[in-house]
Amino acid sequence: MEEMKLSRRRFCQVTGSGLVMAPLLMRSQNHSSSSLTAREVVARIKEKVGVPWRTPTADEFKIGDPDAPITGITTTFMSTLDLLQRSIAAGNNFVITHEPTFWSAADVVSDVRYDPLYNHKVNFLEKNKMVVWRFHDHWHAHRPDGIFAGWNKIMGWENYASPAANPFSHEYVILETSLEELARDMQTRLKTRSMRLVGDPKLRVTKLAHAGHYIQQCMQALPNVDVLIVFECREWEAAEYMRDAIASGQKKALIQLPHEGGEEAGMEECARWLRTFVTEVPIGFIPSGDPFWMPA
Amino acid sequence: MIRSQQLIERIQKNVGVPWQSQRSDGFSDGILVGSGDTTVTGIVTTFTPTLEVLRKAVDSGKNAVICREAPSYSRGERAPAFWRNGPAPSKDLLDNDAVWRAKQEFISRNNLVIIRLVDNWDARKTDGQLRGLSRALGWDSSHVAPGSGEDAYDPRNVYFRLPTTSLSSFAEGIRKKLNVHGVRVIGKPEAKVSKVALTHGLLLVADAERILREPDLDVVITGDAVEWEAGPYFQDLVTAGGAKGLVLLGDEASEEPGSGEMAEWLKGFVTEVPIEWMPAGEPFWTLPQAG
Repeated sequence: MEEMKLSRRRFCQVTGSGLVMAPLLMRSQNHSSSSLTAREVVARIKEKVGVPWRTPTADEFKIGDPDAPITGITTTFMSTLDLLQRSIAAGNNFVITHEPTFWSAADVVSDVRYDPLYNHKVNFLEKNKMVVWRFHDHWHAHRPDGIFAGWNKIMGWENYASPAANPFSHEYVILETSLEELARDMQTRLKTRSMRLVGDPKLRVTKLAHAGHYIQQCMQALPNVDVLIVFECREWEAAEYMRDAIASGQKKALIQLPHEGGEEAGMEECARWLRTFVTEVPIGFIPSGDPFWMPA
Repeated sequence: MIRSQQLIERIQKNVGVPWQSQRSDGFSDGILVGSGDTTVTGIVTTFTPTLEVLRKAVDSGKNAVICREAPSYSRGERAPAFWRNGPAPSKDLLDNDAVWRAKQEFISRNNLVIIRLVDNWDARKTDGQLRGLSRALGWDSSHVAPGSGEDAYDPRNVYFRLPTTSLSSFAEGIRKKLNVHGVRVIGKPEAKVSKVALTHGLLLVADAERILREPDLDVVITGDAVEWEAGPYFQDLVTAGGAKGLVLLGDEASEEPGSGEMAEWLKGFVTEVPIEWMPAGEPFWTLPQAG
């Protein structure tokens, strides 16, 4: 991979260089034993996902030739360059990613097309004849929500969904524990390195809810539970809200996970699901992993 | 004696830039909660008016709180998309929220005035947020600044050259200096770093691209990054060898020292009442890391 290193000097030289052509739909040759294409895989997903296909949607091909035979499928939370390298090393040139490839919700290439890093990533994808397709909106729309199905499995909470709520509730009643014990268990199971907490570590907790990414969801969920769990929420929303809840006398707590920590298991679930109707090529879940670490 | 509206007018006269009072998005600078007729008994500057900060303000006899974040956990109905926040809570949801009700009651019972001062403060020639953070880190003498005096902390002068060290000890040093827990880092811990860019708040990809035009830059430091934008941008940049890393201090940690700068600045032209910086403090704690 040494030739893929982009030196600082090179990085500056490339800045402002000429037009980067949109790399979509370039024909590639592939000689794998199966003739299965990415487009055929996506067609099966659309048929099996159980909800009408929405437009507009983020769930589209982001790069590569959807009509070329694929060598294998990787599912992951985020198609980072590091993940793409690991996917190719594992022999899979089709990546199904939950989150964007080019650093914006809609993968808006026009904003970054002159960025040498974009150029670098595209070159890697093209050189390795990779195809990237995003599976976000419809995996969440699947019932049960594929991302939370993965969460329930990795946390061992499949039987803890709150009976008071609807069948696909994101509220749980777990065996009573302390906030700190819960957080430790979660840190271990999710292999997360960047969890942040608000609240008394010794607080006894049993009722929990996922509160998404936004303050509205936090406000709606808080009255019913002891602990809110957010997967990336801006600090001035969930954390400040929880701090005031506690200061005003409520016995509550917040677990703030990296976005990846909360949702990566859902893409392992996606690999399990895909294997039930895609058998021609290997399918592997490769975690993109917690982007962060915390200093001592 | 000075009333809250007079305090705003005094700030407008001294800010040194044309006052922007109406934003097309989010909240405007000025009084967010409370009355312009309130007699100011003392001024507190802080990053965010938590209930705890408000209590301390009242305990110290001060009733005007000047802040960057709004008290109701949102950057407003019309907050621009680049803040990457969700919609503000609906009025109905907010009015019925027990946490907000408790805070609102405390504010009105104590006749507090909550004042936002962000856009005009940030429009000044000197980036007070940057200078405050640089000084909190003890980096004043490491600043690579083309100008001097008021120009030294021009918002574009974000570069610092520090003794070479590993990214892990560099991040540990920052964390200890700022006395915070939730510092998050992207990059190889053993990578050697020396030249860094210091910013604050939420870093967007376009900001990162601009900052990274500087040659030989190893690390960018900021408050927070969207985890599908500047976060993975830096993950990819590190993989590609284009930089050594990104250090996220947390929003409060990155912006709070600027509120200290603001308190000092206010003392230059508000002399009738005491002025005090009350840091809100980092909201988070963290577990010891496994391994």
